[in-house]
Amino acid sequence: MSTASLLKLGVAGLVYVSIAGAALAADKPLAGITLNLASQNDQFAPVIAKLAPKFEEETGATVKVDILDYGSLLTKTQADFIGHTKNYDLVTMDIVWAGQYADNKYTVDLTDWIKRDADEMKLDDIYPSTIKYIGQYDGKQVAFPFAGYAAVLAYRKDLLDAAGLKVPETAEEFVETAIKLTDPDKKQYGFVANGQKGPAVAQDWLQYNAQLGGSVLDASGKPAINSEANVNSLKVYKELFDKAAPPGAVDYDWGGREESFRQGLVAMMETWSVGAPGYYDPSMSKIVDSVAITTTPVAKGLPVKYGLGGWGMGINADIDPAQQEAAWKFIKWLTSPEIQKEFNMEGAGSYIRKSTLADPDLNKKFPYLPVIAKSFENADGDYRPRIPQYPEIQDLLGTAVNAVLVGGVEPKAALDEVQEKAVKLF
Amino acid sequence: MATTSVGSIDFPQRKAARLRFQDRRRLFLIALAVPAVVYVVLIALWPLAQGIWYSFFDYNLLRGGGRRTFVGLANYAELWTDSTARRALINTFVFTFAAVALEFVFGLCLALLLWREGRFNRICLAFLLIPVTITPVVVGLIFRALLAVDYGFFGYYLAEWGISGPRGFLASTSSALPVVILIDVWEWTPLVALILLAGLKSLPGDILEAASADGATALQRFRLVVLPLLLPTVFLALVLRVMDAFRVFDIIFVTTGGGPGDATNSLMVYGVKQGLQFFNIGFASAIGNVAILCIAVLCAAFTLLIRRADVRANET
Repeated sequence: MSTASLLKLGVAGLVYVSIAGAALAADKPLAGITLNLASQNDQFAPVIAKLAPKFEEETGATVKVDILDYGSLLTKTQADFIGHTKNYDLVTMDIVWAGQYADNKYTVDLTDWIKRDADEMKLDDIYPSTIKYIGQYDGKQVAFPFAGYAAVLAYRKDLLDAAGLKVPETAEEFVETAIKLTDPDKKQYGFVANGQKGPAVAQDWLQYNAQLGGSVLDASGKPAINSEANVNSLKVYKELFDKAAPPGAVDYDWGGREESFRQGLVAMMETWSVGAPGYYDPSMSKIVDSVAITTTPVAKGLPVKYGLGGWGMGINADIDPAQQEAAWKFIKWLTSPEIQKEFNMEGAGSYIRKSTLADPDLNKKFPYLPVIAKSFENADGDYRPRIPQYPEIQDLLGTAVNAVLVGGVEPKAALDEVQEKAVKLF
Repeated sequence: MATTSVGSIDFPQRKAARLRFQDRRRLFLIALAVPAVVYVVLIALWPLAQGIWYSFFDYNLLRGGGRRTFVGLANYAELWTDSTARRALINTFVFTFAAVALEFVFGLCLALLLWREGRFNRICLAFLLIPVTITPVVVGLIFRALLAVDYGFFGYYLAEWGISGPRGFLASTSSALPVVILIDVWEWTPLVALILLAGLKSLPGDILEAASADGATALQRFRLVVLPLLLPTVFLALVLRVMDAFRVFDIIFVTTGGGPGDATNSLMVYGVKQGLQFFNIGFASAIGNVAILCIAVLCAAFTLLIRRADVRANET
């Protein structure tokens, strides 16, 4: 081969490699980017980790999922934000952290990006309540919802039928039915809720408190923790624990509460819809054939609203713009209709889209999805106030309500003390 | 002027050389100490000084953009006016005194029982050390599981037989703190026993034999000979345990989380919550400083008591 021919071959090779490289780059626009995600250890976390390679396949970006318990997630992400250490690009944000995130500008305000990509994201298909409550605060969208949970009532059809009782439709009926279904000699209890000191008992009581007409804040947004309605609801909560809950419930957190229900100890439990797939899983549940799910009962005369909780995903405001854009692409991908379906078929139990909740395959697998859809249509995500002071208020309530349940203090005195301390936070 | 030395007489040349050598040696020793001093300053003194400084400020990293506002001693005053902090302080003192007292009494009894040489005692000592080798978090988790009323090996039956009440010992405001104290006693008594046993084994045998020969009873030998001679070891054991017990965190954190209510809340549990959960740096620093101060005062008190007891023993 002559020198000229060799030169031509070399040039042709170079051109080919350049074209192939450009084509590859166009095919995988995020190649070489790594996104670090701090995720709450909920049912969605392992599913995100499982689906992440698919995102890499499509875009070239690697997503590393750090799965953390609630306390560690809060501490590690806050330390990352405060220290501007950029350890995490994406963080899962609990609905109640929105105020703190907005106040401290921890994450990118997604408002403009959502407007820009509304069509691509099929925004009309996403429940407005999830966008409003999970991440929107003070005019900013500090996170985008990807896992909406509805507060639902899980109950045992067999126990209610055997006792000749109907499913409670009001909070008053719920209390009555719970007490009637309790028979400690048979190790059968009508009710279970979190009693453990800390976020566990505070969050569950706030749910019952809202259903009974109580509210932590008054109309002006200031603490009204020792209001008559709150004191009365705490009395009812204590009555339920004294007369209808398993003795160990004063020390139950979410895990203990769910386990007592799955093991058939309890007839009724208000819970987040995310736990529901577990009741139908014979490998962990003894109540597969007898469980049913309905909306939570509200006290007579009150507007019908259902508790909304869940997680949004926020983008660390400290990371550089290219990384932020890549993170936003991941959020759009995760919340797209196709991935949301796959996400939930894998058992994430996390919903934000109307099309996902109406999907025939998902409905066949999880028969309670219409209940979640109904709850999302009438959702209240503010019964746990999403204000910057919420973590402290939750901690104060977590101690006070637990003290009331174990009999250490009267409801009025406990809530008076919380009110006195909460006022100092504003 | 060059000089030399004959016998014990130092001549200027040799003296200068020796001084230079001493200076060099001193410099060398200082150089050896420098890394340790720098380490202590950076790792202990500087953070301590910062902690003291921050405690005079209202300084919350989550609110007000992390601004610091000078508040003087307000954070220290809050330790007493805030009912939760006051409860935590009182609980910590109760926990420390009760746990250390019980550990000392049981530890001394065990040490005296194991004093004699023998295979049986050596085997017992080996088994006795098992609790000390387990990390307190695991100890807490084990006891939490054992005392659970739903499935705990002890908790279930204690509740069934009506001994603990239907909700168990850890869910009662009156019994939770004593139970947590007993868990600490279970874990750390063997360590106290081991320290005291080492002290007992090092006592001079001839004095004890002389006391026996003089007709002293066992109780007299213990009170008048063994205990006074054991005082330095007792001091070591008590100081170590007081320092550790006052900082109690892990056992309480995993068994009760400070509950029920505030029944088992300790200064460290509260301090960690304020500092690492709410990032309330000013108040958390004040809590930490008070803990250090309390430990220092308690240790100084022990030093004085033991010294006084030692003087009294020497006088008799």
